[in-house]
Amino acid sequence: MKSKLALIGALLAVYVGVPLAFGGDSYVMSLVVASMVIGGVALSWALLGNLGGMVSFGHAAFFGVGAYTSALVSMKLGVPVLVAILMGGGGAVVASLLMLPVLRLRGPYFALAILAYAHIFRILATEWTSVTGGSGGLASVPRLPEILGYDLSTKTGGYLVILTIVLAFAALYHFIRVSHYGLALRAMHESEDATRVVGVNSTLLKGLMLVVSAFMCGVVGAFNAHYINFLEPDYAFSGLWVTLPIVAAIFGGYRTITGPIIGAVVVYLVDQLIFKNIIPSGHQLVLGVLLVGMIVFSPEGLLSLVRKFMRKKHVAA
Amino acid sequence: MTELILQALYSGLLQGGSYALIALGLALVFGAMKVINLAHGELVLLSAYIAYSVESGLGWNPVFAIPVSLVVVCLASVMVYLVVGRIKKDREINSLILTYGIGVILTNAILLIWKADVRSTGSSWLQEAFVVGPLYSMRGEVLFFVVSLAMIVGLWWWLSRSWYGRAVRAVSSNRNAAMLMGINPGYTELVSFVVAGILAAVAGVALFSYGVISPAYGNVLTVKAFIITVLAGIGSIPGVLIGAVLLGVAEALTVTLASSALQELAGMGLFLVVLFVMPNGLFGANGRRG
Repeated sequence: MKSKLALIGALLAVYVGVPLAFGGDSYVMSLVVASMVIGGVALSWALLGNLGGMVSFGHAAFFGVGAYTSALVSMKLGVPVLVAILMGGGGAVVASLLMLPVLRLRGPYFALAILAYAHIFRILATEWTSVTGGSGGLASVPRLPEILGYDLSTKTGGYLVILTIVLAFAALYHFIRVSHYGLALRAMHESEDATRVVGVNSTLLKGLMLVVSAFMCGVVGAFNAHYINFLEPDYAFSGLWVTLPIVAAIFGGYRTITGPIIGAVVVYLVDQLIFKNIIPSGHQLVLGVLLVGMIVFSPEGLLSLVRKFMRKKHVAA
Repeated sequence: MTELILQALYSGLLQGGSYALIALGLALVFGAMKVINLAHGELVLLSAYIAYSVESGLGWNPVFAIPVSLVVVCLASVMVYLVVGRIKKDREINSLILTYGIGVILTNAILLIWKADVRSTGSSWLQEAFVVGPLYSMRGEVLFFVVSLAMIVGLWWWLSRSWYGRAVRAVSSNRNAAMLMGINPGYTELVSFVVAGILAAVAGVALFSYGVISPAYGNVLTVKAFIITVLAGIGSIPGVLIGAVLLGVAEALTVTLASSALQELAGMGLFLVVLFVMPNGLFGANGRRG
């Protein structure tokens, strides 16, 4: 009962409190929206890492494919934007199906193969000029629509949409984790061979996780395309869509559901408001240092570091 | 047309030399420590930028940058080793994320120090034409192809004849058995990182001597090195050399017959075909990767 109340309180705070507090300041609001986009990608990355046991350096591919699919179906076929965003997720799923053969590789081989795939999609987007507009990109991607008289194309409107998307994915993640699939996936984390022995089709499960993760990332990418109304290959397939979410997920704790989202908001805001002002170009250096520091000192996320620290203090006292 | 294709084959062959050096460094560390160093391409690029600094700052031929590069890159490589060695659990996943982070640090450090501009050598001595029959190349390409071959032979000798080289191979094939034979695996891992650093330093100077470099290139180099190790399979030096030449030739042919923008796609295509048809690589031993 108490936790339900807390959940309702938190939902009220993010749905009503944040727009009321920052809605007037469009700079802060745009930073918040961008951080939620990173949070969505971080969540999809963490799902693959935590449940599937796979490290991906290729999520930029899903992000970009989702963005391009959605932008193109809405521009060329006139599909309504909200439907197009879902189709963007579908596009990313198709991209992930092309990656399925890579699943027979494990560990470092998988991670690098998926990195190679991301390169392929970026080159395709740049070279397939007749469809994607090439490196010049697509201008005037349709904006988010008006629903029940409320204009979603504003900063606050965009915030409400991406918030809903991310929360829906967090719920989906939660349900996968508590389902019997989640049990099998946890067992695979302990020992994949032992799990196969008891009759779990581990490759199928890993493939499913890849598909789900790709869908999430594609939808977020699609949202972003309509939110900023512009697309170009170097932006849509940027390595930033890999680096930032990984830092965010590791920082917040990639084995939790809320960790990657909170991590994204914290890391992105700190990066944009503080580090970008100190080192304008190359401020990603700080992200790299943060990533290395986290892996060395507390790979389970900042929260577990704090907890460890508290426990030590406790013992000392 | 035949001349163009012959020329592409020749250029690809020469390019394969430095590709092989990069891939061997990656494979060596993977063998000894079961860690893919995702910052390996950035180490190569660091060396290339040192060569640029020596040329633009001192006005020397970039070849003379090799001693400086060796020291800096080996130190950087050892630092990567020290950080990776601090990982306590889930080493496979965490080492990937960690070395990825080191790659991000190096890329942005290069961006801060040398700016985002594309650089290439201005040395006319290196760019002088070197003609063999109907085939053209730059002097720098031939020079570094020969240097690469010499280093590969040296590496082969070191791995098969010297005590430390054999220790690296022993740890690669069975860590526990190697420990029982009195080999210190930690020390062996360190040695493998130093040797990978040496290979990366020379490859970096080579890349600058006949190609163009930019800060984002490090990541591409890591992917190329990885593709070559997939082509070659595990544990075969001649395999790596042939894989590297194959990649070089595939790229050169794509540039000649299609467009230079598709150059990277050629390597990826080759990679996917091998992955589907022969997952153990062209020369790899039996047994699955993982």
